[in-house]
Amino acid sequence: MSELKQKLILQLADSVVTMNEEMTVELARTYIEAGFNPYEGINQGLARGMDRAGELYEEEEYFIPELLMCSDAMYAGLDVLRPHLKQDKLGEKHKVVIGVVEGDTHDIGKNLVKIMLETLGFEVVDLGRDVPPVDFVEKAKEIEADIIALSTLMTTTMEGMRVVMQLLERDRLRDKIKVMIGGGPISKSFADKIGAYYAEDASKAAKLAQDLVKDLVQEVQQG
Amino acid sequence: MKDKMTPMERAKAIAKGEMADRLPCNPNVANGVARIYGCKISEFNQSARIIADAQIASYRRFGYDGVRIFTDLFPWAEAMGAKINFPADNTADLAAPALADIGQIDRLESADPHKDGRLPIHIEAMKYLIDELGEEVSCAGGLVGPFTNAFFLLGIEKMSKLFFTNPEVVHRACQVSLETCIRYAQAILDVGLTPTISEPMSSCTIVGPKHFREFGEPYLKKLVQYINSKGKPVTMHICGKTEKIWEDIVAMGIAGFSVDNVVNLQKCKEQIGDRVKILGHVDPSAVMYAGTPADVREAVIKCVQQAWDSPKGYVIMSGCSLPVETPFGNIEAMMDAAREIGYPIEPIKLEKMLRSSAHA
Repeated sequence: MSELKQKLILQLADSVVTMNEEMTVELARTYIEAGFNPYEGINQGLARGMDRAGELYEEEEYFIPELLMCSDAMYAGLDVLRPHLKQDKLGEKHKVVIGVVEGDTHDIGKNLVKIMLETLGFEVVDLGRDVPPVDFVEKAKEIEADIIALSTLMTTTMEGMRVVMQLLERDRLRDKIKVMIGGGPISKSFADKIGAYYAEDASKAAKLAQDLVKDLVQEVQQG
Repeated sequence: MKDKMTPMERAKAIAKGEMADRLPCNPNVANGVARIYGCKISEFNQSARIIADAQIASYRRFGYDGVRIFTDLFPWAEAMGAKINFPADNTADLAAPALADIGQIDRLESADPHKDGRLPIHIEAMKYLIDELGEEVSCAGGLVGPFTNAFFLLGIEKMSKLFFTNPEVVHRACQVSLETCIRYAQAILDVGLTPTISEPMSSCTIVGPKHFREFGEPYLKKLVQYINSKGKPVTMHICGKTEKIWEDIVAMGIAGFSVDNVVNLQKCKEQIGDRVKILGHVDPSAVMYAGTPADVREAVIKCVQQAWDSPKGYVIMSGCSLPVETPFGNIEAMMDAAREIGYPIEPIKLEKMLRSSAHA
C-alpha cells in the first residue's frame, strides 16, 4: 500500500473518532482523487474509526452524543466514497431488515448497527422506529432477507420481539431468517428465551450478522 | 405470606430504629398495574380515576411499599408541544419533539400543570391515590427531570449534537423545562404527595459526565433544591450506569437514590450510602420479566446482602420500572423474599437462604 494511501486511511479513521465531519469529507475527496480503492477507504478508514469510537464508548470515554457526532462524520465520508464502489467486488449481497420495535422511538443503537452492517457489505432495509412486528416479517419475506435485526431501549417493548419470533414460527421461516436483537434492556437470557441471537453492541451485532450468514450458507450446503 | 405492618408503620419504625416486620420493598410495577386492574394502558390517558384505581388494585394485591402516579416519560414534553404516540395497550412514546426547528426556541413555554396535556389528569389521580391510601403507604408523584425532558423538547439525537454545535439552545431548553418541572412539583406538593424524579437521560450509558455537569446537573439541582425548600425529601432514579456522577447526584441534596441493575450495589452503598438511602436493584428484564420465582428470590437475597447495612437505609427495589408483561408470580416472589428475609437482617440467615435456593 502506498504511503499516501496508508496515511489517508489512518487520517480518515482519526477524523471519524475526533468527530470532525468537514475533515472527513475533505480527506475522503483527496483519497478518491488520488484514485485509491473506496472499499478499503470505508472498511479500514471510516469503519475502523467507528470501531474505535465504539471502543471508547465501552471504555466510558465516549457516550451516545459523541458516537452520534462520529457517525455523522462517518456518514459524510461514506457519501463521498460510496458512489465509487463497484458492487460486483462485494460478491453476493446478504440482506438485513432492521428497525426499532413498536412502542419505542429511540433509534441511536439501531442506526449504529445499520452503519456497521453496511460497511461490512450487507444490504440493509431500514424500517425506522416504532415498527409493528408484522412489518418486519412481511418486509423480510418480500426482499428474501437473511436476517431481521431488532432493537429497543425500552423494557416495555420487548414483547414485540417475541411476537416477531412467533410470526416467523407461524410462517415456518425460523430456519431461513435469523433474528438478532439488542438494546439497553435486552439480555442474552431474554434472547435465549425467545429463540433469538443476542448482540451486545453495534460492532458485535455486525460480526454476529456475518457469522449468522455463514451459518445459513453452511446449512444450505449441508441440507 | 402476609405482612404484619402497613408500609407507613414499617417506614416509621425503621426510621426510629425500632422493630419492623421486614425491609421495605417496591417492585416498581409501573404500567403493569393495568394487567392487575384489568384495563387498557391507553385508558390512563383519559381517566384519573382509572390511573388511581389501577395503582390501588396493584398495591392491594402485592402490598408493596410505595405507590406512584407516573405513566410514561412524556406528559411534560407533551404539555409543552411534543407529539406523543398512544398505543392502545402499551406505554406512550414520543412521536415528535416540541420543536421541529431550533429557530423556534424562543416560542417554547413552560407548561401549566392544571391546564396542559395530561398533567391535570395526573394531578387529579394523585388526589384519589392519597385519599384512599395516604394513611397506609407512601404516595408519590413522579416526574422526569428538566434535562431528560429537554431531550423530548428538542429531539433526542438533535439535542445530543447541539451539545457540540449550539450549547446556548440546550441551556435555554433546560431552563424552560426546569420551570415546567418546578410548577409540576409544586402541584404534587399541593395535593400532599412526595415528588420523585426520574432522569434516565442523565445516565452515563447515554451522556458523559462532562455534558451532564454542563447541561444536566445545574437544572436538576435547582429542582431538587426547590422541593427540599418546601420541606420534602426527594428520591431520584437514573437508569443505566451512574457511578461517575454519584458524587454530583448526592451533592444535590437528594434523600434517596434508586439505581439500575448495571450498577455495583455494594460499591454504591460503600461510596454514597452514608449520605443517601439506596434503592435497588433487581434486574427488571432478565430476572423479573424473564426469570423464574426462584431466580427472583435469589436476586433479592443477593441485593440485600450487598446493601442491607447501608447507613442511610436500604429499600429492595427493581433496577427500573418493570416491563408491562412481568409475571405476577415474580412480583409476588419479590415481596415474599422480602418477607422471608424479615427484619432485622441476619447475614447468616441470608447465606442459608441462598444455599437452600442453590439446592432447590
